[in-house]
Amino acid sequence: MRDLHLPLNQTQRVRLEAALHELQTLAPAAASAAAVTVADNIAVNHEDNILKGHGTTDQDGEVVATLCGVVERVNKLVYVRTLRARYKPEVGDIIVGRVIEIAPKRWRLEINFSQDAVLMLSSMNLPDGIQRRRTAVDELNMRSIFEENDVVCAEVRGFQHDGSLHLQARSQKYGKLQRGQLLTVPAYLVKRRKLHFHHLEQYDVDLILGCNGFIWVGEHVVVREIADLKEDEQKLSAEAETFTPIETRRHICRLANAVRVLSALGFTLTVELIIQTAEASISSNVEINDMLGAEFYVQTAEREAKRRGDLLGKKR
Amino acid sequence: MEYVNPLTGFRVDGRRPNEMRQLKGEVGVVSRADGSALFEMGNTRVIAAVYGPREIQNRSQQQNNKEALVRCEYRMAEFSTGDRRRKPKGDRRSTEISLVIRQTMEASILTHLMPHSQIDIFVQVLQADGGTRSACINAATLALADAGIPMRDIVTSCSAGYLCSTPLLDLNYIEDSAGGADVTVGILAKMDKVTLLQMDAKLPMDTFETVMDLATEGCKAIATYIREVLLENTKQLECQRG
Amino acid sequence: MVGLSEGEKHFICGGIAQDLRADGRTRLQFRALTVETGIIPQANGSARVRMGATEVIASVKAELGKPTILHPDKGKVSIYVDCSPTAAPMFEGRGSEELSAELSVALQRCLLGGKSGAGAAIDLSSLIVVEGKACWDLYIDGLVVSSDGNLLDALAAAIKVALSDTGIPKVNVSLNAEMDGEPEVDISDEEFLQFDTSGVPVIITLTKVGKHYIVDATSEEESQMSSAVSVSVNSHGQICGLTKRGGAGLDPSVIFDMISVAKNVSQRFYTLLESEIAAAEAAADE
Repeated sequence: MRDLHLPLNQTQRVRLEAALHELQTLAPAAASAAAVTVADNIAVNHEDNILKGHGTTDQDGEVVATLCGVVERVNKLVYVRTLRARYKPEVGDIIVGRVIEIAPKRWRLEINFSQDAVLMLSSMNLPDGIQRRRTAVDELNMRSIFEENDVVCAEVRGFQHDGSLHLQARSQKYGKLQRGQLLTVPAYLVKRRKLHFHHLEQYDVDLILGCNGFIWVGEHVVVREIADLKEDEQKLSAEAETFTPIETRRHICRLANAVRVLSALGFTLTVELIIQTAEASISSNVEINDMLGAEFYVQTAEREAKRRGDLLGKKR
Repeated sequence: MEYVNPLTGFRVDGRRPNEMRQLKGEVGVVSRADGSALFEMGNTRVIAAVYGPREIQNRSQQQNNKEALVRCEYRMAEFSTGDRRRKPKGDRRSTEISLVIRQTMEASILTHLMPHSQIDIFVQVLQADGGTRSACINAATLALADAGIPMRDIVTSCSAGYLCSTPLLDLNYIEDSAGGADVTVGILAKMDKVTLLQMDAKLPMDTFETVMDLATEGCKAIATYIREVLLENTKQLECQRG
Repeated sequence: MVGLSEGEKHFICGGIAQDLRADGRTRLQFRALTVETGIIPQANGSARVRMGATEVIASVKAELGKPTILHPDKGKVSIYVDCSPTAAPMFEGRGSEELSAELSVALQRCLLGGKSGAGAAIDLSSLIVVEGKACWDLYIDGLVVSSDGNLLDALAAAIKVALSDTGIPKVNVSLNAEMDGEPEVDISDEEFLQFDTSGVPVIITLTKVGKHYIVDATSEEESQMSSAVSVSVNSHGQICGLTKRGGAGLDPSVIFDMISVAKNVSQRFYTLLESEIAAAEAAADE
C-alpha cells in the first residue's frame, strides 16, 4: 500500500487496513480485473477492427499497454485510463493555473500538463468588457490584468497547429483568483462534471475543482458589473490591511484540510464528499488542525467505506 | 578468499550462486514529486524521484522539438558507503552512471508523445552494497511508471559475476570488489532486448555467455516483481478512487 | 522557488495575523511528526524524521582516528548536510550547495559548541580511546529527501534521534603494545556503548511574518518571512546556539521575546519528540 506516513498506533493501523480492505471488496471486480501495468498484453478480438487509443501500442500484432491504469473499451476503441499522471487536457475543461511568464500578446500558465498552456490576450475579456480589436495599449497593460504568479481560472480551448495548448477566459466567471489557497491533488481524482465552480453559500466560500488537479478554496467573490470594477480596485488598495473574516477563514481551512485528507486517501473529490468530510469534522468536534492527524484519516476512510457500502446496498 | 564455500556451495552472505538478494519496491515515497519509488536489493537501497513531463526549463538544452528531453542525476549520500570518503559532487563515476541511467531509460520512454517537455529523473543512493547501478535503474522504472509516463516496456537491470569458477547472480559489495568479472545487464523485459551491457575484468567467451544469461534471468525475475508491485498499486488506487 | 500571487500572500499573512494558518494550525503549533530509527543499517546510528511533507535522514558513523595536537583529550565530530535533488529539481547539480552549506554551518554552530568544543552537545572527552593517540571520529550526515520548509529544525531533531540510536563499539586497548608509539586497539563486534544524549539540544526556528512569528513554517510561509531566528535549546532550557537569518532588521527586544518563546516551545517539542522516539523504539523492537 502507498504509505500515508501517519503516526498510527496499533488499533488505528488495524482499523485503517480494515476500512481500506472493505473499499477493495466494495469495488466492482471488473475494475481490478481490467487493471494493467506497462507492457501488459491487452486481450482484444482482432476481427473487430479495434482502434488503439491512448496508452496502448502495437507490438508484434499484440495490443500492449504503455501505462499503468485501467483498460477502458468504448465500442471499437480500446485505451488505458491512467491514474497517477499529469493532466490530459480535453476541450472545454475548466482548469486552474498559475501564470509563469508574460510574453507578447499572451500569458504562459503552469497547469500540471506536460508543457505550459497559453492564454492569448485575444482570447479573454478585457476589463472594460467591450468587444474590440486589441490595441498596442492593451498589450502594454497586460500586467494590470494578470501578473506573474497569479492564480487564474480558465477553460481549455484546444491545441494549436504547433502543438501548444491554448486556453480562453471569455466570461465573467473566469479570471484571477484572489484570496484563498491553492491545493494540488493528482488530476485523476477530479472527475469532469457539469459544475466545477461552487459557491458554498453556507460558508461564504468559493470552491473551484480544476480538472487539472488544482483546487482553489477561497473567499467568495461576487461577480460584479464591469462598471463597479474600477471602483472596486481602489477599495482593494485601501482595504489592503483588512484580512479575510476569521469565520470565513475557518471554513476555508476546514475545507482545504478535507481536500488534503481525501486526496491523501485517494478518494475521488466531489463537492458533496468534501462538504461531508468538513461537516463530519465539525460534528465530531475535530479541531481544524487535527483533521490532518491519524485519527481523522482513519475515521474518514471508515466513513467512506460505509457510504459506498450503503450506496451499493441501495442499488441492490 | 573463498567466495563460494566449496563444500556447501553457499556464498559469503549465505546465498546460493544463482540466488538474488531480497527485493523490495515501494512507490510514492516522495510526496512532492510526480512519481517516486524506493528500491532495495539486499542492503543496497535507492530512492528515485521523477519530475515531469513539464515545460522545458532551459531552452538551450532542447535538442529537437519532436521529443521529450530526458535528464538524469545520480547522487550518493555521504553515509551510503561503508567507508566514508568525501567525494566532490559531479565526480566522474556519478556522471557516468547518470549517463548510463539516462540512456537506458530513454530507450524505453515514448519520448515522441511528449514534445516540448522535459522529464527529470533523480536517483539518490541511501546505501551502497554492490549493484547500485542496477538498483537505480529498477527504481527509476518504478518511479517513471508511478509518474504515468508512457513506456515501451519495463526496463530492469541486474548484475552477475564469476568467482571461484562459479557464475554468481547479483553481486554484493564484497563479491564486487573481489576482482572477478562484473557483468551488468539491463533489458527491456517483454521485448527481450538488451539495452545496457557493461563488464569489467576479463572472462572467456563461453563463460561470459553463461554469466550474461544468468544476469538476464535475474532481470526477468526483477521485472516480474516490479510488475507485481505496479499492478498491486494500480488496483489499490482504482479501488480507493471509487 | 515557490511563487505566490498577491492574493495568496495576503491570505497567508492574514492567517498568521489571525492565528489560523492555511492548514488550520495556530502560530505555535507543529505539524504531525513521525520518527523512525535504524533506517541505515550500515551506520552506527540513524533516523528519519518527517514533519508534514518535509523528510530528512540523519546518520552517525564512528571511525577510529587521532585526536588533534591542540586537544589531545577530545574526540572529533563533524556535521555535513546535503539536499537531495529528489526533494526539488532546483537542488540538482550544484544547486543545493548554498543551502547545504548554510544548514551545515547552522547545525555545527548549535551542536558542536565552538572551536574548543566546550559546551558541545556531545561530551567530546567521552570519545577518547587513548589520550593523544586514538579517539572516535563521529561523522554526522544529514540528507534532505523531501523539502517543505523548516529543514533546520527537522535536521536537528533527526540528529538527536540518530545519536540516541547510536552504539559505539567497545574498545579494548592492549597496553603492552603501546611501547612503539601506536596503541593496539581491539574493536568489539558485540558490545556497544550508548551515548548520553540528554544534552543534545533541539532547534526551534521562529519565522517572522508580518508582526508575528510562527514555528514549523511550510515553504509557502517561509517565502513570506522577513527574518527568522533559530534557537537551539537543551532539555534544561539552556540556549546552546543561535542563528538569525533573513534580511530585515529586528529590534533587540523582539529577539529576546522570540528567544523566550522558543525556550517555552522547545519544552513542548521535547515531550513530542521523546514520545515519538519511544514509539519508534517500540516499533523497532517488534
